[in-house]
Amino acid sequence: MNAVFLLLPLAMALGAIFAGLFLLAVNDGQMDDLDDPAERVLFDD
Amino acid sequence: MQLAVNRTRCAHCGLPVEATGADPVYCCAGCEGAAAIVHAAGLEAWYTRRTATPDRPAPADVDWSAVPVVDQGGTCEARLVIGGLRCGACAWLNEKALADLDGVVSAHVSHASGRALVRWDPSRTDLPSIGERVAALGYRPRADLGADPPDRGLLLRLGVACFAAMNGMMVAAPVYLGWALGMSEPYQVLFRWAALVLATPVALWCAEPFYVGAVASLRRGLLHVDLPVSLAVVVLYAHGVWATFSGHDGYLDSLGMLVALLLAGRVLEQRGRERAAEAVRLLANQGPKNAVRVLPGGIERVSVEDLDLGDRVEVGAGGEIPVDGSVVRGRALVAMALLTGESEPRPVGVGERVVAGAVLEQGHLVIEVEARSGERLLERVGAQVLAAVERPRSPGAADRLPPWFTASTLLIAGGTCFAWRGDSLQALEATVAVLVVACPCALALAEPLATAAGLRAAARRGLLLRDGQALQRLAEVDRVALDKTGTLTGGRLEVVEASDETLALAAAVERASVHPVGRAIVDACVERGLPVRLAADIREEAHVGITGRLDGRWVRVRGAGAGRVEVVGHGEVVLRDRLRPGVGTLVQSLGLPVVLITGDAPEVAERIGREAGVSQVLAGLDPEAKRRFVEAHPRTLFVGDGLNDGPALAAAHVGLAMEEGAATSLVAADGAVLGNGLGPVLAGLRLGRATARSVRVNLVRSVAYNVVAVAAAALGLVDPLVAALLMPLSSGLVLASAAGLEARVARLEGA
Repeated sequence: MNAVFLLLPLAMALGAIFAGLFLLAVNDGQMDDLDDPAERVLFDD
Repeated sequence: MQLAVNRTRCAHCGLPVEATGADPVYCCAGCEGAAAIVHAAGLEAWYTRRTATPDRPAPADVDWSAVPVVDQGGTCEARLVIGGLRCGACAWLNEKALADLDGVVSAHVSHASGRALVRWDPSRTDLPSIGERVAALGYRPRADLGADPPDRGLLLRLGVACFAAMNGMMVAAPVYLGWALGMSEPYQVLFRWAALVLATPVALWCAEPFYVGAVASLRRGLLHVDLPVSLAVVVLYAHGVWATFSGHDGYLDSLGMLVALLLAGRVLEQRGRERAAEAVRLLANQGPKNAVRVLPGGIERVSVEDLDLGDRVEVGAGGEIPVDGSVVRGRALVAMALLTGESEPRPVGVGERVVAGAVLEQGHLVIEVEARSGERLLERVGAQVLAAVERPRSPGAADRLPPWFTASTLLIAGGTCFAWRGDSLQALEATVAVLVVACPCALALAEPLATAAGLRAAARRGLLLRDGQALQRLAEVDRVALDKTGTLTGGRLEVVEASDETLALAAAVERASVHPVGRAIVDACVERGLPVRLAADIREEAHVGITGRLDGRWVRVRGAGAGRVEVVGHGEVVLRDRLRPGVGTLVQSLGLPVVLITGDAPEVAERIGREAGVSQVLAGLDPEAKRRFVEAHPRTLFVGDGLNDGPALAAAHVGLAMEEGAATSLVAADGAVLGNGLGPVLAGLRLGRATARSVRVNLVRSVAYNVVAVAAAALGLVDPLVAALLMPLSSGLVLASAAGLEARVARLEGA
């Protein structure tokens, strides 16, 4: 059961990394336009 | 004579034209050029993908030096507003056509925002070439002036809050299981600390918008929903910190959930509002910024600000008049839609006065400047309208909590603390529980969710509202006032009276004209099933008329007074303004008094009013009288479109402007009606009522929930697990109600 003392912080750190990636993505402008990509995917080039 | 109606549509812009046997057929050289670009770039797919047709191409009249260009070492980057984007395929076409241009590194065109972000290699191409490319396709590139960068703060906070809420639940579950199954001390400590670590960024950073809102509402002496929310968050967190250090169980998992849910509501609301406000702003961001100055030795392009009184400027067909002044040379047809909402062009000759913002449809004018930039009629009226708009409006009803809501919560919390005074630990726990469960989470969610759903539904039906308050004010409207020209009538003409022969002859020459009269005549001809032929040698002269040769005879059509044209030697065609579609439905199914208020003469207004079936007609009103009327009737919805409607639009309880109306009317209004009909106005009224009802129902639910939950908490029956289960339950009810909004309105429309 002592594994939880290692795994819980690890899991939270992993989650924090993904939360950080989300922040990067938002700041990069990837979430600014949520409508056009949906239409764009229909036009294969 | 031909028997079949030989009509087809321009392969590019969809304008009706005569089939010439060629395939495809284009209506003009501009469209043919645009099609050539599309084909050369291998983008024919656009013709099958598009869901709307573009405008006819016109040369771009943009001062490219005014566009801010960012030099990124080797490549340049600029943002443009692209007018005329109708669908995703339009954005796709522009993007591909730009990327195909030599020297363009990348291009991103967004249909939703109507903007383009272009990067190019300055050694191989330049901004004017890029702009011309867009213009040649039939779209209108403009400088992107003063665009706000998107506000990403709420979304960032939502992301972090969701992360904390989900993981918070993960670490809370073992603790709650531990209550039942037993858990040894070290593990309890681990999970409590994990919960505290997760809740800290939520309380200190994610919840900041609520703190800001709470402080602002206190300053204004109002009890905003943000106030009890902030109170609950602060108490939750403070109690959590104390509990973690002293070995008790806290409500930290509820904290993450609470903030995440509330932020989600805010993000949804912000998205809906931003899009509508942006669309209105784009529409209003009009008016010419440059002029062509005529000098003794030639011409030069100057900014409008650099013009002096007495300077002469020239304007060609298709151009916007940049100044207020008198015509010193030339004759032209001038459309004043931007200023008066009147789309019918009016002939202008030497000595007559013209104002900035008018569009020259045909001809050529030299104008002597009579008003400095900043003092033009366009700007003077704009300034008056802005002053009226900035007058503070009372906050929406749902923004204000019933004052007793917060007060009674605080009283009960105080009473609980007092009642449990014998047991200090129990007193603390019960008081915290009261403050936590009393947080009007459902109520705080109800307004943004219902508003976002309402704004979205309104936008889908062609009504762009500036904010959610406009939507809620729509629910309070008890009277509808409509302007006549441009609002009740769409500025489109229809033929009332003409013999078939006269009509057919007129159509043969008018086909070549883009003038509304010509289009009305051709349309009438098609409706009657008459052959639409094409005369040869067609010549159109402003004020004189239009002539052409048909079967070896000359046909001449000329204006013959208001609403009449004459086919010389044959007869007259009588035309009149056509009511916009949806007027009848609006008047009949509203159940509200509809008033026609207009500056026109009584007899014309009476006729139109009778036709539309309005309950009252007020004619001969000047802009000031219109404003007084809407002020005298405080719950009036006013729909207008002209420059002169600005004061009334700003003063009305809700003011709506027609999309193609004057820029100033769009600035003054609470929203814009897109498209040709008045259907969106009716939809907006229904949506406003449905939204207000949804907010009201949720207020009742929220209060009922609070009464029960607060009572339980005061009795010491609520522990962290019960709180963690209650909160999502009440919020879920609100979510369900917002989701049902669209369905309710659809039912109303079906009924």
